[in-house]
Amino acid sequence: MKYKDYYAVLGVPRDADAAAIKTAYRKLARKFHPDVSKEADAEERFKEVAEAYETLKDAEKRAAYDQLGQHAAGSDFRPPPDWGQSHGAGQFSFDDIDLADLFAGLSGRGGGGGARRGDRPIPGGDYEAAVHLTFEQAFEGAELELDLAAVEYDEQGNARRVPHRMRVRVPKGVTDGQKLRVPGKGGKGLRGGRDGDLYLDITVAAHPLFRVDGMDIHVDLPVAPWEAVLGSSVEIPTPAGRVTLKVPAGTRAGQKMRLGGRGMARPDGSKGDLYAQVEIVVPTSVDERQRKLYEQIRDATTFDPRAHLA
Amino acid sequence: MTLEFAEAHFLDDGTTVTMTELVERSGLTPAELEGLVECGALAPAAGAARAWVFSLRCIVVARTARRLREELALDDSHSLAVVLRLTQRIDALEDELRGLRPRP
Repeated sequence: MKYKDYYAVLGVPRDADAAAIKTAYRKLARKFHPDVSKEADAEERFKEVAEAYETLKDAEKRAAYDQLGQHAAGSDFRPPPDWGQSHGAGQFSFDDIDLADLFAGLSGRGGGGGARRGDRPIPGGDYEAAVHLTFEQAFEGAELELDLAAVEYDEQGNARRVPHRMRVRVPKGVTDGQKLRVPGKGGKGLRGGRDGDLYLDITVAAHPLFRVDGMDIHVDLPVAPWEAVLGSSVEIPTPAGRVTLKVPAGTRAGQKMRLGGRGMARPDGSKGDLYAQVEIVVPTSVDERQRKLYEQIRDATTFDPRAHLA
Repeated sequence: MTLEFAEAHFLDDGTTVTMTELVERSGLTPAELEGLVECGALAPAAGAARAWVFSLRCIVVARTARRLREELALDDSHSLAVVLRLTQRIDALEDELRGLRPRP
């Protein structure tokens, strides 16, 4: 187990009082909190600072930490032989837990080891896992294999890291930033307490063609000038396959054509829509014959697209 | 290691939790939860005060509130409610921004 000098992390002396520790933490939290900090390593620094404060703010955890002695930061160390018994933390394996896990099992707000030492049911904790999906997986649903490793405590407060492997079915219609719940797959409850849940934080990769807005999907529809003027039938991709779309004569750039029920699936079985937004694309080069034809159209028409700017 | 199978569910699947369950799962106090309801950061699905029931989505909101309380060492319910509302506003703006960004 690697030693971390929590006092040094917070920049306080080892005999700092609770108020000084809190003040030091708040200052660093404001500086490194990921929601507000622009520092390059903010997330990592914040985790470090939060871990130190989590231990030092609690009198029992702080006392237990102080009894580990002082070691060089980052050095390998082992707690004194009877440290676990003295703090009611039971036996633990040094090899698969780190310093923060050691203190998480002791008493503190949220019912840690102190609660575990009683006789009432203890609910299992909820876990969170990040899940990355492709657009296709989000649209169609998917089965994923997740490997999780969580620290669990038995009734004696013994800590151990327990690996879990599970195959999770993600429903179709999941969108970027959504959370899903896997009931009962969090931490095990003790003494008849309910098992916790697993929450999945969903990230959906951007698709080169399709853009999701709520339950609707948007796609750009490039059309040639003559298709917009004369009307045409064009084939476009949708997530469920290609479809033929009728472009009416006189279609303007920016117009949206709705294909009902071809968007993302909703939990109730209904679906959002797909919108094809017209963009008129001109050829980048024309041969002599085509140029003459365009010149004929130019000379034959009184159409002025900038009439409203005059 | 055996392979477990499980289904993931949307949070708005109609399942509700009581105030007591929400307190237990989120780690917030009843007073803190009431403060979040009063400021509009949490909306009960049904029930009168102290007999509220909440959608599962509220567990996520309440756990976020608890995380912010711990991370920012917030002492009072009012500050917690304000910070939570501000982060909800940030999340909504980031969602909007994602929708406006050009595709790769």
